Parts: sequence; structure tokens; C-alpha cells
Amino acid sequence: MASEAWSTWALIVGMALVAFFTRAIFVLPGSRLRLPATAERVLRYAPAAALMAIIVPDLALTHGAVSISIENPRLVAGLVAFALAAATRSILATIVGGMAVLLLIR
Amino acid sequence: MQREQTSALRKGAVASIPLLLGIVPWGIVAGVAMVSAGLTRTEAVAMSLLVFAGSAQLAVLPLLVAKAPLWVMYATALVVNLRYVVYSAVLAPHFERLSGAWRALLSYITVDQIFALFVARYRPNDAGPGRHWFFLGGSLVMWTGWQTSSLIGIFAGALIPPEWSLEFAATLALIAVLMPLLFDRATVCAALAAGAVALVAAKWPLNVGLLAAIAVGVAVGLAVARFGAARRG
Repeated sequence: MASEAWSTWALIVGMALVAFFTRAIFVLPGSRLRLPATAERVLRYAPAAALMAIIVPDLALTHGAVSISIENPRLVAGLVAFALAAATRSILATIVGGMAVLLLIR
Repeated sequence: MQREQTSALRKGAVASIPLLLGIVPWGIVAGVAMVSAGLTRTEAVAMSLLVFAGSAQLAVLPLLVAKAPLWVMYATALVVNLRYVVYSAVLAPHFERLSGAWRALLSYITVDQIFALFVARYRPNDAGPGRHWFFLGGSLVMWTGWQTSSLIGIFAGALIPPEWSLEFAATLALIAVLMPLLFDRATVCAALAAGAVALVAAKWPLNVGLLAAIAVGVAVGLAVARFGAARRG
């Protein structure tokens, strides 16, 4: 339907603008926009917090419900991946090991 | 191109090749999801090229299926992508001397994994002019891997059995790049607090739980750092 096609393109273009400007908001103005020193201290902790906030729900939610148990294969595989990442510092070992555990124990 | 630039470009590319193991399955999943949500192949390819933000795409698609209003989908994409505002602020001092075209290109191409690799490797006050080439090299590998795998998902996704749980590889890649960022006790506490809040707040509307998690994580990190400094002082 024509109106559906229109709104799909509006969605794609709108999301493209959102995706670009959230990434560009401080990088694009360059030196014209300086961050105060306090902001820099705050930002020190933000990357690790953001990544962990993406990772934990992926591991510990099953169909929208919190599932912290050895019966949850994603949680077990994720914890193994954390151990592998800490021990080896290898991206390859972390991904391959984690996937192997997930597919084996399921 | 000078030798240091080529060398930084290559180092960035080589460092990110293992990350393809995480991004390729995820791209395939995103390609399949776009087509299953009712996008035509042209629309799906356009979304992959123009938006280039896997988590925002995957968050919006269920809303598209549910025929949610446009503004709700925009808001969801914005909230999921707000972590990039943080990344942008962290990256800005690294790239402030570059031309506008460079800054626009590096903005478009920023992804979680390369951001994490880059931040673990460079400090804002370091000397060394080649760092944007490192960032570009890694990002180009991610971009190419993402676009190729999205195409596979869009055009051949039906051939891949869902029980392979391909999307889990993306989470594992994030675990791998998170580890070098956990360089002191305050950062570890920040990450743990953010993870706990993200879990509790997972059902909040529009994914605002992610932002709450980052905010609490940062606050905990600052508090732990201050406590440590006070004890030493």
C-alpha cells in the first residue's frame, strides 16, 4: 500500500538522521564545543557502563523474565565468555568459546 | 598516503578482524529481521546502509510489526542510540583537529566495538596523529562485514536455521571488547552497577532502562573513585 511505503521510508530516513546525529553531536562541531573537566571524569566510566548495560540483559533475560540460574544457557555461556576474555584477552577465543558452550549445553 | 597512516589503518583493520565473528552473525540476523518485519528488499538494503545501527534497527522492527506510530519508533531509535552521544563526547577531543568531512565520516561509521578498541588504546592527550586512521581501518572492516552480512540475511536468510542462535555472537563480541575497558576498581564497579540496573529496568518503555543503567553506572564509578582517593589521601 502506498501510505505504508511512505511511512516505511519516513522511518528509514528518520532513523538515519537519529543514528548520524547521536554519533556526530560532539565529534562534528570539533574544537568549537569543549567539554568541561568534570564531564571528562564522568565519561571515563560511561563506555564500560554502556557496554555492560547492553550485555547483561542479553544474558540474563529469557523471554523478558530475569533468569539467573545454571539452567539458563546464555548466562552460563556468557560467564564462560567473561572468563575467557579475562584469561586470554582474545576476541576470537571469547566468541568461539562462548558460542561453543551455548550450542553444547543447550 | 604516508607510511604511518597506512600502518595505523592496517593495525586498526587487523585488530578488528576477529570482531567480524560477532558482527557477521548479527548482521545476518538483522537482515532476516528486516525482511520478516515486512520491509521490501530495497527498503531493507536502504535501512542497512543509511541507518547502520544494528541495535536500533532490531529494537524498532517489532514496533513496526505492531504498527506503532512513527514517533514511538523514532523515540526508541533515539533512546537506543543515546549511548553514541556518550561515545561522541569521548571521541571528540581525539578528532577535533580533523577536517569536517573526516569528522562526518568517522561519526557515521562509529560502532560499539571499534569505539571500545580505540578508547582502550588511545588517551585524548597522547601525541600521535595517526589515530583516526586506526579508527577508520577498524570501522571499515566492521562496516563491510555488517553490510555484507545484512545482504546475506536479506536475500538468503531463510536458509539459516534459527536454532543456531547467531545473534548471541554479537553479545560475546561486546564481552570481548568490554574486558580491556575494565582497567580499575571504579570502572568495574561502574560496569557491575550498570548491568544490575539494566536488568531491573529492562521492561521500562522505549528502552530508557539503558540510559538509567549508564547514569547509575557512572555515578557509582565516580563514587568509588572518590572513596578510594579519600582513603589514600
